[in-house]
Amino acid sequence: MALTGLQIYKLLPQTNCKECGFPTCLAFAMKLAAKQAELSACPYVSEEAKAQLDAASAPPIRLVVVEGPGHKVEAGNETVIFRHEKTFYHPPGLFLRVKDSWPLEQVKGAAKEAMDYIVTYVGMNLHLDGVAVESASGNPEAFAAAVKAVREVTDRPLILMASDPAVLKAGLAAADGTRPLLYAATAENWQAVAEVAKAANVPVAVRADSLDGLADLTEKVKGVGIQDIVLDPGVRDPAGTLVTLTHLRRLALKKNFRPLGFPIITFPGEGASDVIEEAQLAAEHIAKYAGFIVLDRFAPEMAYALLAWRVNIYTNPQEPIKVQPGVYEINNPTADSPVMITTNFSITYFSVANEVDGSGLPGWLLVADAEGMSVLTAWAAGKFDAEKIAKTVKTTGIEEKINHRKLIIPGAVAVLMGEVEEELPGWQILVGPREAVDLPGYLKLWKSF
Amino acid sequence: MSRYIATRAIRGANAIVAEAEALLQKALAEKGPDTPVAFTNTAYYLPVIYGMLGHPVSKIGDMVPVLEHAKSLLHPPPDEKWWVPYLGETLDCGMATLLAEEIIEGIRFAYGEQPERYPGFRMTGSASFTSPEFEKEEGGGGYLNGPIDDIQLRSWGIQLVDGRMPGFAAIVGAARNNRAAVAIVRELQRRNILVFLCGNVNGRSIIDQLHEEGVEMGYDTYIVPFGRDTIAAIYPLGFATRSALTFGGLKPGQWREILLYNKYRVFAFVLALGEVDDLKYATAAGAISYGFPVIADTVIPQILPTGITRYEHVISMPWEEIEGETDEEKAARLVQKCIEVRGVKVKITEVPIPVPYGSAFEGEVVRKADMRVEFGGRASRAFEYLRMVPMDQVEDGKIEVIGPGFEDVPVGGAMDLGILVEVAGRKMQEDFEPVLERQIHYFINGASGVQHIGQRDIAWIRISKAAAEKGFNLRHFGDILYARFHADFGAIVDKVQVKIITDPALHAEWLQKAREAYDRRNRRLADLTDEAVDTFYSCVLCQSFAPTHCCVISPQRLGLCGAYNWLDCKASYEINPTGPNQPIQKGQCLDPVKGYFTGVNEYVRVASQGTVDQVAMYSIMENPMTACGCFECIVMVIPEANGVMVVSREDPSMTPAGMTFSTLAGMAGGGLQTPGVMGVGKYYLTSPKFLSADGGFKRVVWMSSFLKQTMAEELKAVCEREGDPDLLDKIADETVCTDVEGLLAYLTEKEHPALTMPPIF
Amino acid sequence: MPVEIPVEQWPGRVIEETLGATPAEGGTRSRVVKVGGENTLPFMLTDGEMPNPPRIAIEILDQRPKDWSPLLLEAWGDVVDDPAKWAKAAEEAGADLVLLQLSLTRDGGKPTTAADAKALTRAVLQATGLPILVFGPGQVDADNELLVAVAEEAAGERIVLGICEEKNYRTIVAAALANGHLVNGRTAMDVNLAKQLNILIADMGLPLDRIIMDPTTASLGYGIEYGYSVMERLRLAALQGDKMTQLPMLVTPGFEAWRQKEAKVGEGVPASWGDWRQRAVLWETLTATNLILSGADIVVLRHPETVKRVRAFIDRMMAK
Repeated sequence: MALTGLQIYKLLPQTNCKECGFPTCLAFAMKLAAKQAELSACPYVSEEAKAQLDAASAPPIRLVVVEGPGHKVEAGNETVIFRHEKTFYHPPGLFLRVKDSWPLEQVKGAAKEAMDYIVTYVGMNLHLDGVAVESASGNPEAFAAAVKAVREVTDRPLILMASDPAVLKAGLAAADGTRPLLYAATAENWQAVAEVAKAANVPVAVRADSLDGLADLTEKVKGVGIQDIVLDPGVRDPAGTLVTLTHLRRLALKKNFRPLGFPIITFPGEGASDVIEEAQLAAEHIAKYAGFIVLDRFAPEMAYALLAWRVNIYTNPQEPIKVQPGVYEINNPTADSPVMITTNFSITYFSVANEVDGSGLPGWLLVADAEGMSVLTAWAAGKFDAEKIAKTVKTTGIEEKINHRKLIIPGAVAVLMGEVEEELPGWQILVGPREAVDLPGYLKLWKSF
Repeated sequence: MSRYIATRAIRGANAIVAEAEALLQKALAEKGPDTPVAFTNTAYYLPVIYGMLGHPVSKIGDMVPVLEHAKSLLHPPPDEKWWVPYLGETLDCGMATLLAEEIIEGIRFAYGEQPERYPGFRMTGSASFTSPEFEKEEGGGGYLNGPIDDIQLRSWGIQLVDGRMPGFAAIVGAARNNRAAVAIVRELQRRNILVFLCGNVNGRSIIDQLHEEGVEMGYDTYIVPFGRDTIAAIYPLGFATRSALTFGGLKPGQWREILLYNKYRVFAFVLALGEVDDLKYATAAGAISYGFPVIADTVIPQILPTGITRYEHVISMPWEEIEGETDEEKAARLVQKCIEVRGVKVKITEVPIPVPYGSAFEGEVVRKADMRVEFGGRASRAFEYLRMVPMDQVEDGKIEVIGPGFEDVPVGGAMDLGILVEVAGRKMQEDFEPVLERQIHYFINGASGVQHIGQRDIAWIRISKAAAEKGFNLRHFGDILYARFHADFGAIVDKVQVKIITDPALHAEWLQKAREAYDRRNRRLADLTDEAVDTFYSCVLCQSFAPTHCCVISPQRLGLCGAYNWLDCKASYEINPTGPNQPIQKGQCLDPVKGYFTGVNEYVRVASQGTVDQVAMYSIMENPMTACGCFECIVMVIPEANGVMVVSREDPSMTPAGMTFSTLAGMAGGGLQTPGVMGVGKYYLTSPKFLSADGGFKRVVWMSSFLKQTMAEELKAVCEREGDPDLLDKIADETVCTDVEGLLAYLTEKEHPALTMPPIF
Repeated sequence: MPVEIPVEQWPGRVIEETLGATPAEGGTRSRVVKVGGENTLPFMLTDGEMPNPPRIAIEILDQRPKDWSPLLLEAWGDVVDDPAKWAKAAEEAGADLVLLQLSLTRDGGKPTTAADAKALTRAVLQATGLPILVFGPGQVDADNELLVAVAEEAAGERIVLGICEEKNYRTIVAAALANGHLVNGRTAMDVNLAKQLNILIADMGLPLDRIIMDPTTASLGYGIEYGYSVMERLRLAALQGDKMTQLPMLVTPGFEAWRQKEAKVGEGVPASWGDWRQRAVLWETLTATNLILSGADIVVLRHPETVKRVRAFIDRMMAK
């Protein structure tokens, strides 16, 4: 039975020293109860309390971190099976695989193209997370050279893939200054690989074709003193992957099964024959429980789609995506085009913008900072009131862009009309439709208002 | 059931079954058993027989077992001396009557005697029966309608099912005079009710009356003349039976389901005009089995208890005694009564006022300079009062302006105004009065050029010059309220009348009455305790973003958003039975102190999709209620102070918990139980059940100054109730301290009771 | 170390519904299509069974689409001028179902009449042997007029009439009741609204096995996560035994994806968006794939290549 925050609080020092990063012991206790903090953050907890709390407070899926200079990918520490139950916390790292059997220029070129890729999505700059270098040659020097080549073009984290511990060691040396993931320890080589990982203090992936075998391996690797483990259950087809990854997530969260409480690595390219199929598999892995995803193909359109999907799935359902407040131009508006205002809740923005865009009619869309709430919710919470509307109108500079003074407010907040008139002297306030879908019809008539 | 009615119905049934038997014998002899029998353009054979018995009649011989069945349903009339229950017998005889009537019409078809000939008569538009003979008459016609064909059945059926048509009226007999006949039919038409005509009184039928008055009859005018004898009443019932088969997905022979389908879904009634003879009683008994009540315009015994029909079974409303100067007024009242008895709902879609109306105008402000007249505010008094009155004291749609209009008030001036809304409804309750009354604000604000602020006796209404120029006057307040209450609250309101009062004496009188009512309501709210009711309500409005959260709203614990109290939920459930507010039976009380109830636990378990197992209604320390994110305040335990703090949404400052409201919100919200933190509505602070398991209001050691100020009076009353009148001053706020150290110092200095209370945990 | 596989058996099951009727059942379809029936989360075949794979419907319009992406027009070619030919092409492209979307107006801006709707329905029924869905233009009056006519014309064919919404469902449901069809009930991405509409429709007497629910969705990148989670929640509620959510779900990823610039247009977009053709198909494919993973029983698609992709994925997921 999990402990509540209050029960945990009783076991803490109750000094409010703030060294854990939380303002009070109670706040920290509540985060521990929600499995969003680790007990080790408290430097003063007694051994006795620790023993009681450890079992209850350790996150059921261990957080594993790989790093490059200035870059970090975290996986694990998830607390739910379905995102609506709370949220998914750590988006899976997307890595592109290169092989040391390729000419070095090709290795470099592929890594550079993928790592330089940036796409802007709802105001965020999205990119892939790192490169997986595979030893296809089996030759330590070739592997080290490939790793080096990759390091020359990117500082992002690496995954070093080889079965020979000597090869991995060579790769590690070449990856100096980063904290890569070693892939993979198997029933055959686990001891040697674990030693390499331990010596370098880096995480290691284990691979087995059954959950039984996988659990054996993690226990063995843990026995060597390694905590940061990543799982590869060996499945490659989409159906098996879904089932197996779901089982792993359930085992960790519902059974608190420690031997398999680690993030998972997947290889969608190995189960796909082209870009679109690989994207389908990767999309499944993003939604269903991968922690690291190694891609075999790179295409900008594929990267964009997967990165957007990853943002979507890892959005906190209780904290919606916001768009940047400001003026949005739709269909090349001119000085006499209509001006509309809405909130910065992404869905609200998209519905309004889509309808205006689809209507073919030009318009200026003002987006107010309503803390990501929809129109009615924001209005009810006082985040989309007359003052906020007026402030948006004044600070966005829309007045210089137009030759009229008519503002369309959403029909759902018709009650604000009078107040907005007060706040915006000289403006005529028009009440638009309640639903975005009625906007095109409304805009056709707006000149007559 | 009235013995008189039973006797006459049973007598009528015996007679008609005998008549059917004779006719069938004659037909078998003359035409033979293999002569085909069919109604016009239908795939349902003889539909009542087909529906009730599952027996398809396609030739005369097929009727023999049907007649035997009808005979088996007959009973002898009640004994003069020995009175026994006879409802069942009467209903059986009613069904026998219908079977016999359909046999008779079927045979008449075989003889070419149906549809009924009516020389000189012509139906308007399309009609179901077309035969070569049809054209013999000058200009076509010469026949009444007979049964409705399947195509028309589907077309009207869809409208009856989807609610565009409220129902149908089967009129049997003849009105007092032609003018009354026309008035009744027009009144039904006006309400979109389908009118079926049949029967006669002493040989004269309402069909004759309408025909003489030049009323167009036919499918296009929604008036169907079936036939001029009572037997033709079988056609409307055939229509009802076929509706159940077509739209209810029912199979022939499922008689019980077909009758129930009609009771619950087909809003039909029988209007018996003129003298009621045995056959009419017998046929009416058949109609009652369908759940169709009978309203007579003559003196007959009434059957008021409900049962087979939804409300009353038989109502007598003698024409001569109906209030009204003209036949039209009487007809309106008669039809209104029919509608009430059957539970047909009136739909109003437009608000008939001279200015534009809609939610787009809700936010309009009428400034002093643009104002024609105002009511309330500084210069005059205005109040609004909605009350429930008995059904017979409301004349639906009546709007009265009592006293002068504002014509004589100078531009920009003010006058006293009272708006009295009287509503009646079978599902109306006194507790809904305040819920409905609050709507007046929104309803009136929807008119362009009208501004409404406040409520009760602090209402303040302004009418703009523009609106007044367009002709907006006091009466239109009534028009708005009448239309909107029907449109939005039709589920609980059946009748609405509005009085707009400007007459000084009456204004004073009603203001006084309104204030008494406000007072009564306040006391009622105070008396409403969790113990006094056996039902709480849920609110899952916020599950769209907090999927596992479910508010449990009790009389003493309102919704955490502050928007829904127990009465609101109760009304909301009546209005929208499938909506977000559902009743929760409290069930067994497991712990009266902490507030555990079996019913609440069971409900929450399901509504939270298994996330929350149990809820303590009155505790923050164990199994507290979850929160979505809409809470007005957050309550959080301050262990160091042995108490709790309350931070309001309006307060952006730091708190002794080391977190601001927005940080705390992440902890309190999301539909997860977090003992020690809770989101609440601010008026919950004043409830005797506020954290009552943990020590109550005395646990509050810190509170946002916003709450202290805006709720000063209410909180003072709470402090007095708690026996510590100065408690409010002992509670710190953000101007005193925003950390635990400062808080403890303050509490010690002020000797806050929490410091000496038992440990909170 | 033996690991016990955490199987989850659910008390609830999605209702299995039959679309279309063969001559033996009073229709003219060459085969019926069953949807739903699962007692497990999508493709979790270790927990329960999925008697029917998710089905693919292809959306066709009653006339040449005015605002569709040139890529779609290119993919279909001239058949878009003739709904009958288009329906046939859709069948050949691998659809399980054909969805006929009626427009508000016909050539020259004349309102679509009941007679038009009947003729179009008849033409599509004659051109394809697949079960069909017919959706109205989405305006209350037009929907009620046209769908009643469609329902009559297709009596006995067990077509799906859409779209029922809370503000307008009664007439469409009545038409379905009278003519033996199914309805598609759409609500705005909210579990309780979906459930409420199901209750309202069922209250009118339409059996649950003739109601499909359409929880509305959004495109990849444009709010899909809301639809995704609402569908997961609806499906979990169904599996946990909530009767009023145990209905198959239909969503329209084709419509949603193709209204976004990512699919619709090739010019004036950032270079980082990559190749238009591949991106467009990818956008629709991933939108559909992801929604299938969250519980969709019917996805309505637009591009024939997407149909192939989604079909291939479903086949792989269902492979034993």
